[in-house]
Amino acid sequence: MSEDPTAAFRIEAGELLEQVEQGLLDLRDNLSDMGLVNAVFRGLHTLKGSGAMFGFDALAGFTHHCETAFDRVRKGDVRATPDLVDVILSAGDHMRALVEGDAPEATGQAILSRLAAAVDAAAGGGSAPAPAPAAPAKKGWKLSFRLPADAMANGTNPLALLDELRALGETTIVARTDAVPPLADLVPNHCLIGWDCTLIGDISHDAIEDVFLFVMDDMEITIEPLAVEDAGADADPVAQVAVEAAVAAPVAANDQQDRRAATRTQGEHVRVPAERLDELMDRVGELVIAQSRLSQLAHHGNDLSLRSVSEEIERLAGEMRDTMMVLRMVPVSTLFGRFRRLILDLANETGKAIELVTEGETTEVDKTVIERLFDPLVHIIRNSCDHGLEKAEDRIAAGKPASGLIRLSAHQAGGEVLITITDDGRGIDRERVRAKAEANGLIQPGQVVSEDELLGMIFHPGFSTAAQVTNLSGRGVGMDVVKRTIESLRGSIDVKSVAGQGSTITLRIPLTLAIIEGLLVRVGEGRYVIPLAAVEECLELSLEEDLRSRGRSIITLRERLIPFLRLRDLFVTGTKPDTYQKIVVVGTGAERVGLVVDQIIGNHQTVIKAMSPLHRNVASFAGATILGDGSVALILDIAQLVALGQPREERRIAAA
Amino acid sequence: MTASILTVDDSASLRMAIRIALSGAGYAVTEASDGAEGLAKATAQRFDLIVTDLNMPNMDGLEMIRALRQQPAQAGIPIIFLTTESDDAMKAQAKAAGATGWLVKPFQAEQLIRVAQKVLAR
Amino acid sequence: MPYHKIPNWTPEQGLEVLTFGLGGETFALEAGIVREILDVMPLTQVPGADEMAAAVINFRGRIVPHADLRVSFGMDRHSTTADSRIIVIELELDGNPTLIGLAADRVNEVTVLHALDAEEPPVIGIRWPREHIRCLVRREGDVVVLPDLPHLFARLTGNSAEPATLH
Repeated sequence: MSEDPTAAFRIEAGELLEQVEQGLLDLRDNLSDMGLVNAVFRGLHTLKGSGAMFGFDALAGFTHHCETAFDRVRKGDVRATPDLVDVILSAGDHMRALVEGDAPEATGQAILSRLAAAVDAAAGGGSAPAPAPAAPAKKGWKLSFRLPADAMANGTNPLALLDELRALGETTIVARTDAVPPLADLVPNHCLIGWDCTLIGDISHDAIEDVFLFVMDDMEITIEPLAVEDAGADADPVAQVAVEAAVAAPVAANDQQDRRAATRTQGEHVRVPAERLDELMDRVGELVIAQSRLSQLAHHGNDLSLRSVSEEIERLAGEMRDTMMVLRMVPVSTLFGRFRRLILDLANETGKAIELVTEGETTEVDKTVIERLFDPLVHIIRNSCDHGLEKAEDRIAAGKPASGLIRLSAHQAGGEVLITITDDGRGIDRERVRAKAEANGLIQPGQVVSEDELLGMIFHPGFSTAAQVTNLSGRGVGMDVVKRTIESLRGSIDVKSVAGQGSTITLRIPLTLAIIEGLLVRVGEGRYVIPLAAVEECLELSLEEDLRSRGRSIITLRERLIPFLRLRDLFVTGTKPDTYQKIVVVGTGAERVGLVVDQIIGNHQTVIKAMSPLHRNVASFAGATILGDGSVALILDIAQLVALGQPREERRIAAA
Repeated sequence: MTASILTVDDSASLRMAIRIALSGAGYAVTEASDGAEGLAKATAQRFDLIVTDLNMPNMDGLEMIRALRQQPAQAGIPIIFLTTESDDAMKAQAKAAGATGWLVKPFQAEQLIRVAQKVLAR
Repeated sequence: MPYHKIPNWTPEQGLEVLTFGLGGETFALEAGIVREILDVMPLTQVPGADEMAAAVINFRGRIVPHADLRVSFGMDRHSTTADSRIIVIELELDGNPTLIGLAADRVNEVTVLHALDAEEPPVIGIRWPREHIRCLVRREGDVVVLPDLPHLFARLTGNSAEPATLH
């Protein structure tokens, strides 16, 4: 695996921007906290410096303006104001886009002019820089210099400097020892010798200054052109003695101590690229498979010692897999933290006061799951703020606190994580949902539907209850997309709502995507895995029933009609059905489908492998896994199959 | 003998870039991710050169340089700090703290190597 | 000059290839893309997949599609023999390195093809679409076919391709 500092920088920039954003959000709540100001400044500073290092010039240039603004805040020159913080927040978004490399320049310009306005409003006045000149000489130079006494202690080697001078041209060097004290008073590492040099050759003034680059400001030095014959020679500037007294750093000391204490508690971390974890996961998966083959062999034979080794390896492989799973887990705080900004933006956009409360942030979820949960949660939160929460005056009229509450909470239950998004708004308007559902033909006028079914309508494609589509929620994705995303994570979504009190949306997500419990089945000659979490029950389909149901694809299960798919037909196996076929009833949310298989082989814990890009266009399969004998079994995509079952069924009914 | 260099920076990408440049030029490079770690490593092992960022959490570069220069064993060890061109005041502070020289960000690998060679001469 | 279609193949520089037999023809693959030659193993059919890559195999714990060029070249598929092999190659498809197991009736040898022996596929007189082939190379009285693999597989990865359905 090759090292790529630019790639590392992109990741780092993302983290820095995240820190800056969190710092800004905290600062917005406490505008006088200089610790936060310093932290934000430092983040911007690092971003600028590293950005320039790795060729992100536009990013460095843009960030420079924000850094400068914050430097002025840091120096007490400009006050931190909500406006200024908000501008830098949007600047952060633009910086993200610059890191990604697709940032419209106009956006940057607009932000910079807002920034200038915000800075002016928070202060007044400006500053101007000063440039420096340089000039060449013809014949040579005469110089006289003395290093600061502590130069040697501070790592400067005078002999190396003399060598560098010699390398420039023909050089004569004479030491001046007038300042060297009697031996008794001599401090051995003080540099008290001065030097007079003549340098002959076509040497630039800059080249000489380069030699003394690091000590120039603190040393005594005169550089004069050698006495010149030709009258046209210009009077070269003489670099003068410049001793700058260093002033002690006026840095907020207690703030630094705070931060040091904070970082100490975090413990040591090792940063590992995600793909290395995935590779390790693959290896562990292979180990588990090899182990199960070993254990089959061991159990067929009579060798007791082989069997005991096999059991030992089985235990170790199992533990390793569990440890591996834990390595991939990250706390949901990394997810929840990102919504503070969203809530702030939503509050600004809607003019509502909104408070965000988060709970259970230490709950851990597989990193892939976290990443894929972000967009659905954004949509749900937008919906809650936009449609759920009332305006302050309406809330007060209803006897509620003026500011609306969004509560995000996470907790683990068994192999699942439950994430709930609660608002204390007006609740979902059932009448409106009903009217909309009737208008869309989802239900018949007057049809009796249960509470759950009615609320479930909001997950239908194209469904939106807002009388007018607002800027917030009307972004082309609906709750149907949210639902599909959650289902692709093998999770489920559920909504509850009480009129006048608010709504709660609950997401149930498996802890990990890398391993599932599956039901191994046979269809024709092929073996397939059905994710166990989706399985509701298994029924027998006798030959007579099968024959009787020819032409129909629907069974009655406890007074409910359930469509079913004959996988043998779907997969065109060309085989005869087994005498005792089974129906595996699977479901996502409220929808069910029965899958007719030839045989149920048993439970199987499965390491999920991705399908090749060559099979990207094949629906029906969510991935593949390797069985104990080394062969491959495909994992059924339940969401796809359920969807496949529904519309055909509806078509059938419509045709009847 | 290979000269050993300690690079102290909170930015992993920068450390990586510095390490790639310097080890490519034949130096042995050790990394530290903040001032405290840098101080600990430099105290435990003598380096021929220390290259450090200034702006870092958990003990910044200035504090680290001051702390190092208080140790007699660190006398004479060159310390190069990384800075941005706008940072003249910072430069003065770092010099006063005992730094040997600096390198202005952004820099090319060759510039870094040249500076290392300059202060490591003989 | 047909050899121009193959990177780094010049009249001065031969092209190192692996030749293999399939459906009575001799095909050649650039040796650089060959990862491994496997004995025949059980295939897992992928219902609904394109006929050309209708199955998958377990290659060191990875799920690798099994492709049969006979489909693209309109050849009959006959049953496997003791000489049958699977040649695992790595192709860059849509910018991603992708492993594919190619069916072969027999694997012949690694040899060097010379650019000057390369010919454009004739306009008439061959059974296959010309765009499936990069060039033909005359060699020891035989003709070696260099298939245009990226072209043949692009159809399966391209988003424009109509999705394979089960019905």
